Amino acid sequence: MIAAPGQGLALARDEGETAAARTRIAVQGLAKRFNASGREFVAVDDVSFEVKQGEFVALLGPSGCGKSTILNMVAGLLPRSGGRILIDEDTVETGKVNPRVGYVFQRDTLFPWRTVEQNIGYGLEIAGLPRAERAGRVASAVEKAGLSGFAQSFPRMLSGGMRQRVALMRTLILEPEILLMDEPFGALDTHTKLEMHKTLLEIWERERQTVLFVTHDLGEALTLASRIILLSARPGRLKEDFDVAIPRPRDPVAVRETAEFGRLYSHIWHSLGEEFRRTRAD
Amino acid sequence: MSNSRAVILFWQLAILAAVLVIWQWGFDWSKALLPKAYVPKILDPYFVAKPTLIWQSFLRLGCFADAGGFTACVTGNDNNLWLATLVTLKNTWWGFLFGSASGIAAGLILGRSDFLARVFGPYIVALNSIPRIALVPLVILIFGLGDLSKIATAWLVVFFVVFFNTFEGTRAVDRDQIAAARLLGASEFTVLRTVVIPSALAWVFASLLPAVSFALIGVIVGEFIGAERGLGKLIIEAEARANASEMMVAIFVMMFVGILLAIAVRSLQSYLLRWQPQFEPSA
Ligand SMILES: Nc1ncnc2c1ncn2[C@@H]1O[C@H](COP(=O)(O)OP(=O)(O)OP(=O)(O)O)[C@@H](O)[C@H]1O
Ligand SMILES: [Mg+2]
Repeated sequence: MIAAPGQGLALARDEGETAAARTRIAVQGLAKRFNASGREFVAVDDVSFEVKQGEFVALLGPSGCGKSTILNMVAGLLPRSGGRILIDEDTVETGKVNPRVGYVFQRDTLFPWRTVEQNIGYGLEIAGLPRAERAGRVASAVEKAGLSGFAQSFPRMLSGGMRQRVALMRTLILEPEILLMDEPFGALDTHTKLEMHKTLLEIWERERQTVLFVTHDLGEALTLASRIILLSARPGRLKEDFDVAIPRPRDPVAVRETAEFGRLYSHIWHSLGEEFRRTRAD
Repeated sequence: MSNSRAVILFWQLAILAAVLVIWQWGFDWSKALLPKAYVPKILDPYFVAKPTLIWQSFLRLGCFADAGGFTACVTGNDNNLWLATLVTLKNTWWGFLFGSASGIAAGLILGRSDFLARVFGPYIVALNSIPRIALVPLVILIFGLGDLSKIATAWLVVFFVVFFNTFEGTRAVDRDQIAAARLLGASEFTVLRTVVIPSALAWVFASLLPAVSFALIGVIVGEFIGAERGLGKLIIEAEARANASEMMVAIFVMMFVGILLAIAVRSLQSYLLRWQPQFEPSA
């Protein structure tokens, strides 16, 4: 395993990320091979890392390096070809849903035939929560997402940012302790993205879920995460591991002015640059 | 201004009036004015009747002109217009209902199970290749001259149309939406109920509108080939007596029945699919 240069700089670790915190996600020697038209194709190769209680970890890497593949294996959506994944000391079984884990997709997966309210309340509804109890929680989630006037709207009437807020609330309303997010803001414009970062930071700084956040956007990773795991280009391997010692609460615009942001940005940029060049060379 | 509603309505009524006028008097006028060879045969009342004759036939068949009074005629005559319409409508409805329900069920099951789809695929393609009308005499042989054979004929026609659309719709469901539902805690059955069915519904409805006309066609053909009652039977009886105006009455009633059924399906469709842009309730 490669030494993590960021670890020496971890002076201002946030509370909840102390060394004593328990491990929520443990990935050990994870591998994934696909069979692409007869030929075996290695997408993920020997990846190991841990995510501790209350950590916000960004999984950063060039497009196609296997980030979604790793996250889907952690969520139990995809069988793995090798290695182990433990969530709270239990091995993840493919096809079995862990109610403590929430997942936000890279693609828009709202149910177009349900209104905003019905989308957000989906998990509670199928869990059989009585209508009256549900209504209160849904209303407060709609409000938290800043969608008050749109509770009765269908998804197609919303902008991309609003839809992604609905998707986020649909997952958060079930109060998952562990949140897996796959480039949830990848399809949004810069301004909307910053708005979403603000929303997510507010929620996370209040509730401190354990988050594994996939992205290929370095600025996004530095804005949100407490730790960044850098993956190499295909096949995805662990490259480096950095702590992001920017104090909280963070503001998505103001963080960019901090010295730590600038320093990490240029360091990781060079590291990522090598990987992008490797991707092109293929 | 030229395409305002009033102008459009004016032209629609003008066309209707012109058709009725030509139908009513066109043959007599052309016989009086044109050389014999140029008189259009298609307007001959012997073949196409006349609006006034059709109206009289309608009053007679509909028991409005009966000496014994309306109720006596409706209850006494076992193939009057009302009874015939009711029988045809009832058989169409049940055929449509059974056909679409079984088509939807089979489509959902085979759509969700690769194994069953593979096993039954060739049989369904083979059965679907038989022109359904060719089976009508067989169906009547099996189920008799009564209502059951008409319902079975309509079922045969409706089932395959609805089945194929439901199957395709079930196949086209977004896999990520299913995964999302699972991750939010849905069981296999809940996924079917809350994701697969609503998502396939647009495909199902695309087939229900033609299916309802097919059901009517199935019933009428069944009645042509062998029946005791119904609008199709009415036409066959009128044909035997070379009575064009009575046939026309039955045809017009079928038209109204078809329109009513289509409206019923369409309004159900626009309610259930109101989340789709084309069915958005206009403000
Ligand atoms: N079902 C599959 N069959 C074959 N190859 C696959 C499959 N899913 C993913 N891959 C391949 O595995 C590699 C990693 O894919 P993955 O979706 O994990 O990338 P990613 O890092 O999430 O990229 P992006 O940032 O573009 O979303 C890609 O090269 C992709 O082509
Ligand atoms: Mg991805």
